[in-house]
Amino acid sequence: MKAKSIQQILLPPAPHMVGDGFRVHNFFPTGYNIGKNRMSPFFMMDYNSKIDFSPRENPRGVGVHPHRGFETVTIVYHGKVAHHDSTGNSGVISEGDVQWMTAASGILHKEYHEEEFSKKGGPFQMIQLWVNLPAKDKMSKPKYQAITNDQLGKYQLDNGGVVEVIAGEFKGVKGAASTFTPIEMYNAKIKKGAAVTFDLPENFNTGILVVEGAVKVNGEKAPADNFILFKNEGETISIEAEEDSILFVISGEPINEPIAAYGPFLMNTHEELEQALEDFNKGKFGYLED
Amino acid sequence: MFAQFKKYIQDKIKITDEQFDLISVELVSKKIKKDTLLLRQGDVCSQVFFVSKGLLRAYTIDSFDKEHIIQFGPEDSWVSDRNSFYFNLPAMFYVDAIEDCEVVYINKEFYEKAEKIIPGFNSFTVMILHNSIRFMQRRISLLLGATAEQRYLDFIELYPNLTLRVPQWMIASYLGITPESLSRVRKELATKNFKPH
Repeated sequence: MKAKSIQQILLPPAPHMVGDGFRVHNFFPTGYNIGKNRMSPFFMMDYNSKIDFSPRENPRGVGVHPHRGFETVTIVYHGKVAHHDSTGNSGVISEGDVQWMTAASGILHKEYHEEEFSKKGGPFQMIQLWVNLPAKDKMSKPKYQAITNDQLGKYQLDNGGVVEVIAGEFKGVKGAASTFTPIEMYNAKIKKGAAVTFDLPENFNTGILVVEGAVKVNGEKAPADNFILFKNEGETISIEAEEDSILFVISGEPINEPIAAYGPFLMNTHEELEQALEDFNKGKFGYLED
Repeated sequence: MFAQFKKYIQDKIKITDEQFDLISVELVSKKIKKDTLLLRQGDVCSQVFFVSKGLLRAYTIDSFDKEHIIQFGPEDSWVSDRNSFYFNLPAMFYVDAIEDCEVVYINKEFYEKAEKIIPGFNSFTVMILHNSIRFMQRRISLLLGATAEQRYLDFIELYPNLTLRVPQWMIASYLGITPESLSRVRKELATKNFKPH
């Protein structure tokens, strides 16, 4: 198989705050203006690089807001995130856990630093990814997959490393999340000096975030907090870890449909966005106390 | 710099690029950071603000330090204190930026020049004023005689996306109700309209 070509290694763009709890670098779509479809089915990726939050009695976070037309995937590396949604779900996403929330036809939710973590403060690091849905599934029933670390598929690497399979399949190990379109998503925890290869289809849009450590990707150096964007050429990605490293690998079959995006809504047409706003304003997403 | 303002005017009246160039020397376009105060109550307001991008608000502060929002100014809005701009009296309102904005500052010289150079400009400003009066009359009527729910429904029709752009307390302030009442209205609407899958 041919090596998957690197298009660019992207530095983390200037951070901005989401509410008062999440200090994020947006790698796409706005951070580098790579286009709304370039990483389809992944529409947006916010990365809260590791940062210390001071102790706070009232947890920082984002208040009640709606979503429609896509899924949010939250992966926590340090700290804890508490959440509530209008379908009655609530919980805590702890270190190593993944929350895969299908907003689909509409949900209201709020996300905060978990109370005890907030009181103690400390390092906080997480990713939120927005995964688009095909038109036929945009108005499906909201659902929610709370995936704790022990539920993730695990492929042990030779020297103590591990590939945690969130979605898709890696060397026969299946991911824990069910997805609407073909998606590969892994956390690869690789020990210094070790190597691993990923074979991902040429037509899948693919990227790797270096969450921790430093690696060589197909021979090119990539330090922590950088995002490697791949061309749709070749399949094989060869990683050599120069330090103990964590990589967040995403690869998915593009959804070749028009995108109409406004704020927390991700639809196919402008009319659908207007409808989403009207439905949200008129309470058709339900209710959630702030 | 004035592209959005020019487009707005050219969509409404016949005005050539040359005519716009002649009057645009009186305009100033500024990029303004969120929370910047553009007008202070008591000062004389020598400008009308046209919002090319972002969101302004005009408000008062009462003797209990409570804010009352008079107007939201999203894209393509005119925000001003007419009491001050036209009659040279101290401004009744504060104006500040709720989001990072691009604002066109329009002075009296602009209006005088435009009226001389552009046939129909006078009628255009009269139309803008009538529209503004019509809007204010509706707002007074709703504040005096409509339920909180009716006021909220009117608000979301006029400003469909502001529920995503401003905090609840600002919407409540604009509607003349408490944030708790607004929560109640939204909860009642959800009870009526939400149909689980």
